[in-house]
Amino acid sequence: MRPIFLGLAILAGCVKGNPIDTKFLGNGGSMAIDGCGYSVTTQMGAEAPIASQDLFGADPTPRLVHLGVIGDPKTSVVVQWRTADEVTRASTIRWAQGANLTADQLTQTTSGIHFAYTGTACAVGGPTCPYRQHQAHLCGLQPGTTYSYQVGGHDPETGADHFSPVYTFHTAPDLTADPAASIVAGFVGDCRGGYDVWQQFVNQYTTMSLNTPDVILFSGDAVTVGITQPEWEEFLGEGEPLFATTQIIFADGNHEDNAVNFLSQFAQPGDQENFGMDWGYAHITVANDTPEDPSAITGANHDLLAQDLAASANATWKIVMHHQPMWSSSTSHGSNVMLQAAWQPLIDQYHVDLVLNGHDHDFEVTLPIVGMAPTVQPTNATGTVYVVGGGGGAELYPNGSHAWTACSESNYEASVIHISQSKLELDAFHTDGTAAPCGFMKTK
Amino acid sequence: MTRRGRGAVLAVVLACARVAAADDHAAEQAFRTAEQHAVAGDRQALDELEAVGRARPITRWNDQAWIEAAQFAERAGDYARAERDLAEAIAITTDDRLARRARGELARLAGFAGENGQWSAVAAEHEKLEQQLAASGDPKPVLAELEALVAANPGYPRAWAVMVVIAEGWERDGDSARALDWLRRAKAAASGADRVHASAELARTAMRAGELAEARAVIETIGDPIAARELRAAFARAELRRDVRWVVLALLAVFVVLAAVSLRRQAGAWPAAARRLARPPVEVWYLLPIAVVFVIVGTTGNPLVARSVRMIAIGGVAIAWISGALLDAVRARRGFVGWRRAAVHALFAAVAALGVAYLAIDRDRVIDLVIETWHEGPELR
Repeated sequence: MRPIFLGLAILAGCVKGNPIDTKFLGNGGSMAIDGCGYSVTTQMGAEAPIASQDLFGADPTPRLVHLGVIGDPKTSVVVQWRTADEVTRASTIRWAQGANLTADQLTQTTSGIHFAYTGTACAVGGPTCPYRQHQAHLCGLQPGTTYSYQVGGHDPETGADHFSPVYTFHTAPDLTADPAASIVAGFVGDCRGGYDVWQQFVNQYTTMSLNTPDVILFSGDAVTVGITQPEWEEFLGEGEPLFATTQIIFADGNHEDNAVNFLSQFAQPGDQENFGMDWGYAHITVANDTPEDPSAITGANHDLLAQDLAASANATWKIVMHHQPMWSSSTSHGSNVMLQAAWQPLIDQYHVDLVLNGHDHDFEVTLPIVGMAPTVQPTNATGTVYVVGGGGGAELYPNGSHAWTACSESNYEASVIHISQSKLELDAFHTDGTAAPCGFMKTK
Repeated sequence: MTRRGRGAVLAVVLACARVAAADDHAAEQAFRTAEQHAVAGDRQALDELEAVGRARPITRWNDQAWIEAAQFAERAGDYARAERDLAEAIAITTDDRLARRARGELARLAGFAGENGQWSAVAAEHEKLEQQLAASGDPKPVLAELEALVAANPGYPRAWAVMVVIAEGWERDGDSARALDWLRRAKAAASGADRVHASAELARTAMRAGELAEARAVIETIGDPIAARELRAAFARAELRRDVRWVVLALLAVFVVLAAVSLRRQAGAWPAAARRLARPPVEVWYLLPIAVVFVIVGTTGNPLVARSVRMIAIGGVAIAWISGALLDAVRARRGFVGWRRAAVHALFAAVAALGVAYLAIDRDRVIDLVIETWHEGPELR
């Protein structure tokens, strides 16, 4: 599939008169992040990470600010951004504990890293190739605490500040200190090519009173061609009001196709495509069902999924997110029987509560099921509920219905998942914020 | 308030809190016990969950118990009771999200079991038969029961859905004409979004059966832009396949004429050519038992695949027969078959075999099965 996308992207670039930059060839590399206990590894097509430098381009204004996580979300966060000129190498974050602080109240400064990566299309008058990603890693934060920050750099030669607006984020709660803590996760996917719809969901997520998400779970296909940077600009640009304040966890979709653009722009643990982390009472596992080598589905990626689920066997709520649904009654893609055969035994074995997918551009919630027959459970107390949330903006597909379908709609829908110690609740909503009839609740 | 008064109020508040905590704990215990029984499939669990729902004072477990009771009742096929349990949950809950979900569930249940659950028994039978149909090897007995269910309950709100299931069953059994007839009835019986669904199924089945004129007419009546877009794309594929089918048929006809003329030339006259064709060549004696084995094995599986295997076997034997007779005639006239003639002959035979195979699978949904298997691999179960 990837050569096809690459060919299409090159063709698109040539048609526009903006050929792909073939001069930049990064081989990737690693850098240990001080005080965080982890390293950042960049991929083929990106250069190795470099510590922040006092170098400023023509327009060092930070843009496309978004949050990610590599370490423990209770105590760490990664802030990522680019600058308008792609030349600036100053990667600094100013921050302080507290909500909605002013710039002069941001008393702490931490140096970040940056690295360049390639991709299409290097438009004349547009972004200059290669693209340059900046990251700032904050570790040792307080759990369940709100912080304010801004990113950019101070030019010592001119004395000018080139910083972003001040944003606010908060860390995941510490359940030992606050056993009554609950979190809200936003869940959506497949907004490729439909960024007007995507913008409406971003507006809804950022204006929800009481329900503003603590973390966004994105099930893949943010763009149509993973190596085409302009689409990423649209996705992140429309999403900035949300992503600058809310950490995103991203599953690789078949349209991201493991592209260097995806891997460079989203800081995530491990290999960035197969990992798990605790957030409140939920353990969230992300798996890549579109690996470069398809045999990894039954090989390496299967093993990583098994290891993560085994390690989190005692988690209160287990949520797995990947792109292509094992169970979908849409008449477009439908259920992926190969994934069922490869991964569902693990889902059943470790009693995963919720599996989040996209790929089919509709919304569907299954009844709780077990096995590949499958067997519908007597109540929601047992079994796994599979949710297809591919209505994030891409052209809609028809929905369908099976004996194991609880509800489905061919409509643009996103969700919020309320997670507390005793309850897991999923509620979907439309672009105008009205509640969708599909939902799910499980108690423990 | 005096110090003593404040102390008294505090004592009352603490006592109330202790009582509330005890009530909550007792309700949770009862809820957990009922839930365990529900997980085990014990029918008694329904009464137990409802008892937790009715218990007073109200704790945070009452509404959840009614919701679980509704889930249990629905999955046990008692839709009327599920509707009553959902109504109870809506009546007592103070949780907006729970109430919204329960109202959605209630509307969904009312859609097929009736507002007061009057179609509950029919809906339960419908669900049961649908599951039996999915698991059955020979669908005819279950299809007969589903047809009887529709006939006996003309007012059932989901009669159209039963008709769609019946149509799927007949198509699976290889009777596309009967499937189309049931889908026409389903389209007539459905309304609103259900009509779109039934119409889409009718259009898809008509395309698979090669009834493109009917498919086109049905697609034009579908107002839903998403379904219509998908169906128009499928229709374009069906038209392409029809064109390919005609090209293959024309090619095979040309091959047959060429073979007949060539045989006559080699044999010297039409009666001699007919005599040579009447004797099965050695290729046929070799292929025939293999073809018979394939046909017999094919009959044990999917009837559509079996029919395709039968067509390929018959076509293969026919090609081997004509091809062998022609080569025998050449050998009888010249004493040998030159390599150029042999190569051209083999090429024509291979193209004819491919053409026959395409025609065999380009019926009903076999070509879709082949394409799906090509893309997704064999089903690993």
